[in-house]
Amino acid sequence: MDDKLALRARDFWTSLVLIAVSLLFLWQTSEIPFFKADAAGVDSGAWYNSAALIPYGVFAALLAISTGLLFVAIKDGGASHALRTVDAFSDRFELTRAALVAGIITFYIAGLVPRVDFIIASALTMAALTFGFHEGSRAAMLRCFAFVAGPALYALAVHPTRDQWAKPHDDDWVALVAFVALCVVSLVVSHREGRMSRSIKLTPLVSVLAPTLLVVAMAFGFRQNVPNRTGLLFSQIEYHYYVDVLPILRGR
Amino acid sequence: MGLDFVLSQFASFSDSLIALASDPTTYVYLSCSVFLGIVFGALPGLTATLAVTILTGFFGNKFPLEQSLIALIGAYVGAIYGGSYPSILLNIPGTAASAATAMDGYPLANRGQGGQALGITTTASFIGTMFGTLCLLCFVWVLLLISRNIASPEKALLALFGILLSGTLMSKDLVIKGWIAGLIGLAMAMVGLDPILSEQRFTFGWSYLLSGFQIVPVLMGAFAIPQIIDGMRAAASAPKPPVVGRIVPNLRDVLRRGPTILRSGAIGTGIGGLPGVGEDVAGWVSYGVAKTTAKDGADFGRGSINGLISAETANNAAIGGALIPLLVLGIPGSPPAAALLGALKINSVIPGPTIDPAIIVHIVAILVMASLTMFMMGLVTARVFIMVLRLPKTVFLPIVLVLTTIGSFSVGGGVNDLFLMLGVGLVAYAMIRMHYPIAPLVIGVILGGLFDETFRRSLLLSDGDLSIFVARPGAAILLSLNVLLVLSQIPVVRQALRSLSDLAWNAKT
Repeated sequence: MDDKLALRARDFWTSLVLIAVSLLFLWQTSEIPFFKADAAGVDSGAWYNSAALIPYGVFAALLAISTGLLFVAIKDGGASHALRTVDAFSDRFELTRAALVAGIITFYIAGLVPRVDFIIASALTMAALTFGFHEGSRAAMLRCFAFVAGPALYALAVHPTRDQWAKPHDDDWVALVAFVALCVVSLVVSHREGRMSRSIKLTPLVSVLAPTLLVVAMAFGFRQNVPNRTGLLFSQIEYHYYVDVLPILRGR
Repeated sequence: MGLDFVLSQFASFSDSLIALASDPTTYVYLSCSVFLGIVFGALPGLTATLAVTILTGFFGNKFPLEQSLIALIGAYVGAIYGGSYPSILLNIPGTAASAATAMDGYPLANRGQGGQALGITTTASFIGTMFGTLCLLCFVWVLLLISRNIASPEKALLALFGILLSGTLMSKDLVIKGWIAGLIGLAMAMVGLDPILSEQRFTFGWSYLLSGFQIVPVLMGAFAIPQIIDGMRAAASAPKPPVVGRIVPNLRDVLRRGPTILRSGAIGTGIGGLPGVGEDVAGWVSYGVAKTTAKDGADFGRGSINGLISAETANNAAIGGALIPLLVLGIPGSPPAAALLGALKINSVIPGPTIDPAIIVHIVAILVMASLTMFMMGLVTARVFIMVLRLPKTVFLPIVLVLTTIGSFSVGGGVNDLFLMLGVGLVAYAMIRMHYPIAPLVIGVILGGLFDETFRRSLLLSDGDLSIFVARPGAAILLSLNVLLVLSQIPVVRQALRSLSDLAWNAKT
């Protein structure tokens, strides 16, 4: 019952957000010609031909259903519960854990991957996720989050725009140092606390091997595009592949 | 004419199967992809959809479609089967599709019959996949011939029906939450240049959005990111699987239960064929029907072989069923089929009435080969998959994050696709926490473009006359289905219908 009440409290807030979003996009849709449309100088205007027709329908339906959800939430007592407390998670520790994982993923994708060598960025993130969340102590989680957030914020601050993403490699070096430091600190702490499992011991190796194998397989095996080809490590791998390895593979 | 066409397709199926079986590369692709699929299915937190989506990112459009399809379908078949391992041995469903399997599989494993349960599951999964494949082979041609008479009004209403049905059946809380998810997906499909007038919609001046949201990053965001966050959120050390005895094929035990297999296969294929409804629903419905009809229904949940067979046969039969609407109409029958649609589209294959029949024949042949590979692997390498269960989430989920990132990046949009994946992933995670189903959102994104284009084309052809949606018999039926589906979920209408049925019952008695 309490779970249902908490769920309806969340539904109350969600429905308000959805109503606001529907209204915003209905207003946005009003900027698309509805009763009269000109395409490339040709009058194609009729309501049934308008590009706004389906968006109007979709957002009006979303508005109506969200209002319905709001009524359900109020009827089931969600509104009064919502105004007393906000509890998307019943467990505060789980909330911290989820928020930190989401934060690490965000820093990895938005900050590191576009700017930092893919192998280094991935190794750092993988090591942080395993070291920080395997045993699950709050201190380890926060430490690992900081080790990802630091280099990501540095890369974002120093090389914000796209033209600066490929070079120079200062952010690559910062991330590499952070990876080494994270591994050393985490291994020492785990050893000192007597929590050195096989997973923890192998983490640095797996963190480097997995992205290296993946990016090599992707670039040279599957012939796909990979992030940051000019990165510190990948540029060396690519150079030696074409200059040293490929001629051997071709028997020259 | 129609019969000649169907017979010629059966002949070309046998040619395709022979060609596939005599090509050594087929076995390389199949063994790798089925193995990977089973591992994905066996690891709780990873799904069949994710396996197919990640491989879509890897194969992209740089490999011949024939080879990509072997890898993707192999992973799909393997993952649906692989989910049974943790269900039986740990009582943790590896995929949603195998949730019903745990009901009877785990009690069997607790009694020390884990090996027998895995043997039965492997056999039932094999038979189920073959059943679904046979149905696909038989019915797809008939439906393909019928679908050639389907015009824009029917297509629009069918796409809408797919979104609504998926929202209705996939919702675990309020049905309107499923519809909201579907509408959000539809709204996302509106972004970019509109398909008829090339009018810009919701691009906010960002050129990347002109071509709309790409399917693969949306799929990766919707299915991978929430799984990673959720898996890491509550990660605990991996439980130790129990000791399992000899795993032997149990054909005699399974075939003795012929009626259960036939019924479960039919239910699985039928539910798989419903737009957007996946293998999990098929497994549960089949299990429920078997429980109410079987003589040993009271033993279900306590280690019933019938219960195990009904769930496993149905969820694997749903694979063939899910491919029927995908190939005939371009409407995916399940979330993994939606990922497969993404792979077909980036290879410039548009499923639907105009699809090249050779592709259908090739897919059916791959399904046969993949189910055989799955059967062999299930018996020979089962111990490897049991060992995989010992992997803690904190070790394999970070690898999945890297796989997802590189896969999403490689499909074409580069860093922008990663941003899209991240945004969709965070929103999808929030939605899952609020008990919104994600499958309708993805179905909405995939079918939104089709709905928009065909709905407006219908009106264009009729000069804005809405009666075009009732003038054609097929459209009228589909419109009625849509209206009935919506009305049946409105409490007042439901109450009125219940009162009417009570009145009728009273009058009868």
